[in-house]
Amino acid sequence: MRQWLLAAALAGGAASAWACGESLGAGRQTLAADGWQVAWRAAPSPVPVGKHFALDIALCAPAGQALPATLRVDATMPEHKHGMNYRPSVQARGAGLFRAEGLMFHMPGRWELVFEWRDAAGTPRRQSQALTVQ
Amino acid sequence: MKRLAALLATVALLAVAEPLPSPLHDEDIPRILAFGPWPPPLQPDPSNRVWGQPAAIDFGRTLFHTPALSANGRIACASCHQAASGFSDGLPRGVGLARGDRNTLALHDLDLQRWFGWDGANDNLWAQSLRPLLDAREMGGSLASVAATVRDTPALRQGYTAAFGQPPGPDDERVAVDVAKALAAWQATLRSGRTPFDEFRDAVARGDREAAARYPQAAQRGLALFLGRGRCYTCHLGPSFSNGEFHDLGLPHFAEPGRVDPGRHGGIRKLLLSRYNLLGPFNDDPTRSTATPTVHVALEHRHYGEFKVPSLRNLRLSAPYFHDGSAATLREVLRHYSELNEERLHADGEKLLVPLRLSPQETEDLLAFLDSLNDTP
Repeated sequence: MRQWLLAAALAGGAASAWACGESLGAGRQTLAADGWQVAWRAAPSPVPVGKHFALDIALCAPAGQALPATLRVDATMPEHKHGMNYRPSVQARGAGLFRAEGLMFHMPGRWELVFEWRDAAGTPRRQSQALTVQ
Repeated sequence: MKRLAALLATVALLAVAEPLPSPLHDEDIPRILAFGPWPPPLQPDPSNRVWGQPAAIDFGRTLFHTPALSANGRIACASCHQAASGFSDGLPRGVGLARGDRNTLALHDLDLQRWFGWDGANDNLWAQSLRPLLDAREMGGSLASVAATVRDTPALRQGYTAAFGQPPGPDDERVAVDVAKALAAWQATLRSGRTPFDEFRDAVARGDREAAARYPQAAQRGLALFLGRGRCYTCHLGPSFSNGEFHDLGLPHFAEPGRVDPGRHGGIRKLLLSRYNLLGPFNDDPTRSTATPTVHVALEHRHYGEFKVPSLRNLRLSAPYFHDGSAATLREVLRHYSELNEERLHADGEKLLVPLRLSPQETEDLLAFLDSLNDTP
């Protein structure tokens, strides 16, 4: 896993994947694609069912690319074809760090957590992670 | 970790130690444990400055039972929320000064709720308590009439003064909201008791085979169906057996011919317009620490026709069922899920509900399980 992340990071010319979001501490999860990395950690963790939770997020850009000022966070339940009953707010905290609040998975099962932003050229970027909550 | 593994292994033995093969599986254990422990401690409500205060609880109990707050002087909160009926009324739809659109919800374990009412139009118990005082079809009062009654009735004036540390002032709205906060303080104490299921759940938690085996086999089979093929657990989860949210069950959408009950969609709209929500001026918590759901709630088309997922505790007393009171018995509730009309579900809605086609035995087993969620024999 660590080697795969390293390969993905090097392919994008970015800092190493495990360095992204280091400030989030242990328990963070990291996504990587096209040189971009998203590290996140839920509070509380693990994500509970039927209770609100927050995400601390670090977004890391490929070398030489600017970080976006905004980030969108959402989640859906693909098998049920619905999203959350709540719209999270995302606060930028500088240097690629964000705090998303107001998320809630109101059913057990498989959810897809989605991060969306635009790069400096205006190109939409998206990364997602499947999570199964019980 | 070793201890946990040993516990789970012990619990797993339950399945093979029973006279009949247990229908429950190891993977059910975390879900079973998540239905408790019961009872949980009362959850404080920082939006209500008199929450938990004995004088306010006493005053709230008095207010709940007095008809003086209604427009005709004959209807109390207790007229529709009768203790003998689980603080419900036994009617399909509530009847105050006129007949309402929805079934009267039972009152227990309210401190654990996020939203109040079938449509969740209120995000706190005191706002929910104010609503029927002012609703023309329920008690038909006004802010002014409620405040005047409290000022002019010696026993109520005395109760207000004891609860709030000063006599009712000249601001009608402030006095009426305080009345609602005292009502909430009392209702928040209505905790349902332990049930046969709770005994089973705790026996599973401590790996006590003998105690767990005393839980009836029919109820165990019903629980297995509840967690498994029935998928009831998807919405009825946690200690209250509810996720606290809203779903479309494929029930008729009309409150009466030609008039749709918008359900949760209408509830969110009312919530966001209310002066009495947790973002408004009457929240006693300056940090708005419990307002997260209200800040983030999303109004979407799919909320049309959705209604609250009720608790499944103490259902025996609170018939009839569903938001429109259309199911006279729990057997009828199960028949609804068994024969579900999928055409009534929103076409773009959840692909979650399918007709369960319950066998007679499965129906009896689910009824046995639901009956084990009552705190009285």
